[in-house]
Parts: sequence; C-alpha cells; structure tokens
Amino acid sequence: MSEITSAEWTAILLSLRVAVIATLVATPFGIALAWLLARYNFWGKSALDALVHLPLVLPPVVTGYLLLLALGRRGLVGAWLADNLGIVFAFRWTGAALACGVMSFPLLVRPIRLSIEAIDRRLEQAASTLGAAPWKVFATITLPLALPGILAGMVLGFAKAIGEFGATITFVSNIPGETQVISSAIYSLIQTPDGDAAAARLVIISVVIATAALIGSEWFARRATQRLHGN
Amino acid sequence: MNRLAGIFVALFALAGATLPAAAQEKIITVFAAASVKNALDDIDAAYTAKTGVKITVSYGPSSGLAKQIEQGAPADVFISADTDWMDYAISKKNINESSRLNLLGNTVVLIAPKDSKVENVNIAPGFDLAKLAGDGKIATGDVKSVPIGKYAKAALEKLGSWQAAEPKFAMADNVRAALTLVARSEAALGIVYSTDARIEPGVKVVGTFPADSHPAIIYPFAATITAKAETADYLAFLRSTAAKNIFEKYGFKFLLSPTT
Amino acid sequence: MLRVDIAKKLGEFSLEASFTSEGRVTGLFGASGAGKTSLVGMIAGLLRPDRGVIALDDEILDDTDKAVHVPPHRRRIGYVFQDARLFPHMNVAQNLDYGRRMNRLPDDGAQKERVSDLLDIGHLLDRRPGKLSGGERQRVALGRALLSKPRLLLLDEPLGSLDEGRKVEILPYLVRLRDEANVPMVYVSHDAAEMRQLATQIVMLRNGRVTALGGVKVLSGTTA
Repeated sequence: MSEITSAEWTAILLSLRVAVIATLVATPFGIALAWLLARYNFWGKSALDALVHLPLVLPPVVTGYLLLLALGRRGLVGAWLADNLGIVFAFRWTGAALACGVMSFPLLVRPIRLSIEAIDRRLEQAASTLGAAPWKVFATITLPLALPGILAGMVLGFAKAIGEFGATITFVSNIPGETQVISSAIYSLIQTPDGDAAAARLVIISVVIATAALIGSEWFARRATQRLHGN
Repeated sequence: MNRLAGIFVALFALAGATLPAAAQEKIITVFAAASVKNALDDIDAAYTAKTGVKITVSYGPSSGLAKQIEQGAPADVFISADTDWMDYAISKKNINESSRLNLLGNTVVLIAPKDSKVENVNIAPGFDLAKLAGDGKIATGDVKSVPIGKYAKAALEKLGSWQAAEPKFAMADNVRAALTLVARSEAALGIVYSTDARIEPGVKVVGTFPADSHPAIIYPFAATITAKAETADYLAFLRSTAAKNIFEKYGFKFLLSPTT
Repeated sequence: MLRVDIAKKLGEFSLEASFTSEGRVTGLFGASGAGKTSLVGMIAGLLRPDRGVIALDDEILDDTDKAVHVPPHRRRIGYVFQDARLFPHMNVAQNLDYGRRMNRLPDDGAQKERVSDLLDIGHLLDRRPGKLSGGERQRVALGRALLSKPRLLLLDEPLGSLDEGRKVEILPYLVRLRDEANVPMVYVSHDAAEMRQLATQIVMLRNGRVTALGGVKVLSGTTA
C-alpha cells in the first residue's frame, strides 16, 4: 500500500474537523431536546418528536436539498444570513458540519433521552431538599447520571457525521479542501479510472476511525456506568 | 460536569488544529468539466510551479457545476464542456462575460472494454447501436443534462439509432464515471470524448462519431463574477502556448491562438 | 416551630391535617397509607397542598389563598428518605458536602467532624454508596441532611428498610441526634416502640385525618 497523498490527508482532516464540530455543536441541543421530550408533556410534543427524527427517514439527498433551499446563498434564511451577518453555509465546511449535524441529530437525541428517562427522579428530589436550585440539580445530578447516554449519543452521532454523504454532497457539493470529506472523496475516486488504490486507502482509514470511536465510547460508557452504580 | 467540559474543550481544540493554514495561501477555485481532468491537472501543476498560486479543482458534470455556481458556490473559474451550460451560468448572472474564452474542442467516440469482441464500427446513418450492445449497457453521461450525454443523444438521433438503443443506456453522473464503467466491463459500450479514451488503458476506441452528427463541441472557459484578482493571470496562462501544448498532448483541439 | 393546616386529595382518599409542632421531635404516627409521607412531602415542598397554610418559624412556606409556594431548595428543610437516596456518582464525603455547597455555606470542619463522630461515618468517607451496607447508607443520609444546616429535619421512616439488627444499631444514633444536633425534627413511623424512644410530641394520623395530638402517652394502647 503506497503513501497517503496530500489530497487524501486533506479529506481525512476535513472529515474529522466537520464531524467533531458537528457533534460538539449538536450535543447541547441534543441534551436540551432530550430533556424536553423526556420530562415534559406539551401540545405538539409528537410533532416535535417526529421533526427530530425526520432526518432518519427522509432520503439524505432530500434533507440536503431542503438545507439548500433554506440556507443556501439564495435561500430563505441563508440570503439574510449572508447579506446581514456574512455567514455562509452552502459550499463551505461549515455547511458540511451543519448537514452532518442535522443528519446525526436523531441518533444523538435517542440515547440521551433514554438515559434521562432512566434517572431516578427521587435523587433529584433529594438534591432539591439539600438546597439545589433546578438548574443546579440538572448540572450536578441529572447530567452526570445521564453521561453514559450522552457519550453513547455523541459517538453514534460522530460516526454518522463522519460517514455522511447524501445530504453533504447535495448541500455543499464536493470541493477539495473545503467540502470534500472522506465519503465524497471516495465517491469521486471510484469514478476515476485509476482511483481504486486511493479509494481503498480511504476506506480503510474510515473503518479505523469508526472502530476507534466505538472502542473509545465503550470505555467511557463503562466507566460512567460504574460510577452510576456507586462503584 | 467539569470532566465533560474538559473533553469538549479538548475536542474543539483538536478540530481547530485541523484548520488548514491555507488562509495565508493564494488559492484559485476552478469548477471544471470532468473530461479536462488529466490535462488541467498537469497545467495547474505547471502554473503553481511558476507562480506559487495553488489551484483547487472541483471536477464534475458541467450541468451540476453550473447549478452549484448558481447556488453560490465559491468558484473563481468555470470550465464547461458545452456552450449551453456556460450560457446558463451567464443568464443567471454568475459569469464575468468579458473573460469568456471558447478555448477547446473535442471529438465524441464509441468505446468498448479492452478485451471486447467489438471492433471497427462504422458510425454512419443507420448504424445499429442497440444490436451492437447486445445484452449489455451503453454508458454515457445523463442525456438530459450532462454535455457528453447531450452530444451522444443528438448524434444518435441524427443517425437514426437513438430509439432502439435508448433502453440500454446507463446514465452516469459525469463522463469519467461512464468511462470507468466501460473500463471495468460493467458496460458493453460507452460514448465518451476521445480525450477520455486516450487516458484509460482499460478501454479501446471502436468508432468515431462524425463531427456533423452533433452540435460543435466547444469548451468555454470564464471567470465568475466573484473571482479573485489572481484569476485573470490564471486564465491568461490557460491561453498560453505552454497550456496549448499540454491540452493538445491529451488530444484536445485548441480553438484560439495562444496569446503568450 | 412548624404550623401545618392543609387539605389535599390523593387519588381515592383525602388528607386533612392541622397541628403545630412543639419541642424537639414531632412524631407522625400511623399505619401505612395513612398519608404520612404525603404530609411530610408537603412540608418539604415536594408536594403542594390543595388548600391551606404551612409555616415554619413565622415564614409562610405555603399559602394557597395567596398562591405562595416556596420551592424545596429554598426551604432549608432537610429530608432523610426511607431509601437513603445517596448520590451514586459521588463518594460519601461528596454526598455529605453536597448540601453545604448547594446552600453556599462556608466550610465548617468542626461541624463535619462532630457529625461524623455522632453518626460514626468518619471511616467511610472515601467509599461509594454502592459499597455501603444498608445501615451505613442510612447514617450517611442522616449526616448529609444535617450538614446542609437545616432549620427542620424530616425523617420519613428512616429505619423502615432495615432489619431488626440494624434498627437496634441505628436507634441510639437517632437519640443522640435528637439530644445533640440542636435541630427540630419531624419523625415519621408506624412503629410505636421507635416513637416512644424518640418523640416528644405525637401527631396520630389515620385515613388522612389527625385522630390524636399530644405527648407520648397518646401512644398507650397501641401495639407495635
């Protein structure tokens, strides 16, 4: 197997950056949504739940296209953002991060929600009798106890983000150095007559990254669960 | 809680570290028809060696590229494989019209996998493409939008072979994807440019479409209206003798006289 | 001094209670299902009465007429639960320190030592709740509530989940608590023997109504 070329490195680093940013930015929103869905009943809750899971069932290209319509340079919100705040998502790595974040969101929210639902509310009650205001209960009791779920969600989300293709290529296309992530690079390479070797290298690297993420999360989750059981 | 925050900060830092230092480098972004890939790569390498300016190219079907530019993609240069898509981009007010150069020409050929039994096809009115393909598929770009597909369909319609052959077509994303299908023997035949056939040892040319069977193949080159200042120099280089030699080496016709 | 005058509908049955606590330990005595835990929940602020007033030392904690409800975290009322409810992700020392931190009280090493000695938990500080016995957990729960410096301490059947041996072991700690901790307590139990040892005043609850109010003699004639 020959050396990894500079173009391939660019795709790898870009994928990592996009997936990490997507996951980090999505996580607070994921925790908030999970909390809302786990703890409250309100009018429109099923609609919200469905909306959160939409990227899971819509064809990825459709999600990408909807992002383009809304946030493209000439999109509903995108035009305003570009003209007034100079923020552009389409065809930028930030757009790739956004597409990956949106696609991985349902996978992020689910484990967190389950984790929060499993928390013994009586512990939260005990905390409030000890003087903890609601946000402090959340920060010192709920969040730490939900940690295994949060980590599991983040890893699933990261894995999805790193492998995302359809929405990404539709929203931000395939510009080397800017939006050509690993999956798009592989897609281009397998269409090129002599691209098979490079494609194979990238495939192996994808597998390595995904495996590392899974192993890392297992370790984290196991430690967090041990703490949960008071060990 | 602090642990979680710590992990977050570390990951953000990691992400930031992967940011390319390219902010300081000059980069010109080119959106180019897939068929110019090998030639343009060589020319770009020469240009970077000469000026230090890096060229990033997004290769794809001219149709897809034109639509992305319309949507605000950050291209400095657009190289289309037909005039339709350049005209489209101009109509959407994305192109600096005065910079337009109808620079290259090409030929459409019929190809087959290297070890195919098909040989020496005479492409003339009445030639039976469908029969030639047998049970196999005919690969080319999407006939509705991709330039090579449009040329192919126009030619076949003129020759009277389109209707019978249409059900056997495998429409690929762009011409190089079609080329790869034939090289892998996934398709029995393919319709690509002669310049593509030349760089792929896995295929052989079995016939050439007469130039009058389809609209003239013209590759317009132009700068976009958002092009960086450095683009003018790059476009001038594409019209230089050095560039001409490289394009012709790969089999393109150079339609203009070089300016340097 | 605790003043309770409330009514609440709880599913099938309704609870009405009106009493004032005096002295060290007010015992809430009655059979299971009499409404004791709900009553104590309302004193803590975890539950809201349908109607009525709850006041502690002249501060109104609940007043349904005026729509006043002080949330639990602002009442400075400690609660020892029957199931201890120690935080599993913290060790004993961190559990004990939780109330002080949440109430933003200054570090009081002397008090920590006193409570540790009182409840004999000093040697458990580095342990995690999962590695404690039932009796140890209950003592840590007591210490945790105490160290939050509450104005009133609620204990809801703290010995209920322990076996006879453990109960005998812990009861003296509770007596010491009463005598040395200097904080009024409301003690819930269905065990008359415990009550006789600990309480200075009895509120007897039956089917959601206060049926007797007075000194410990009120328990005479009750078995168990």
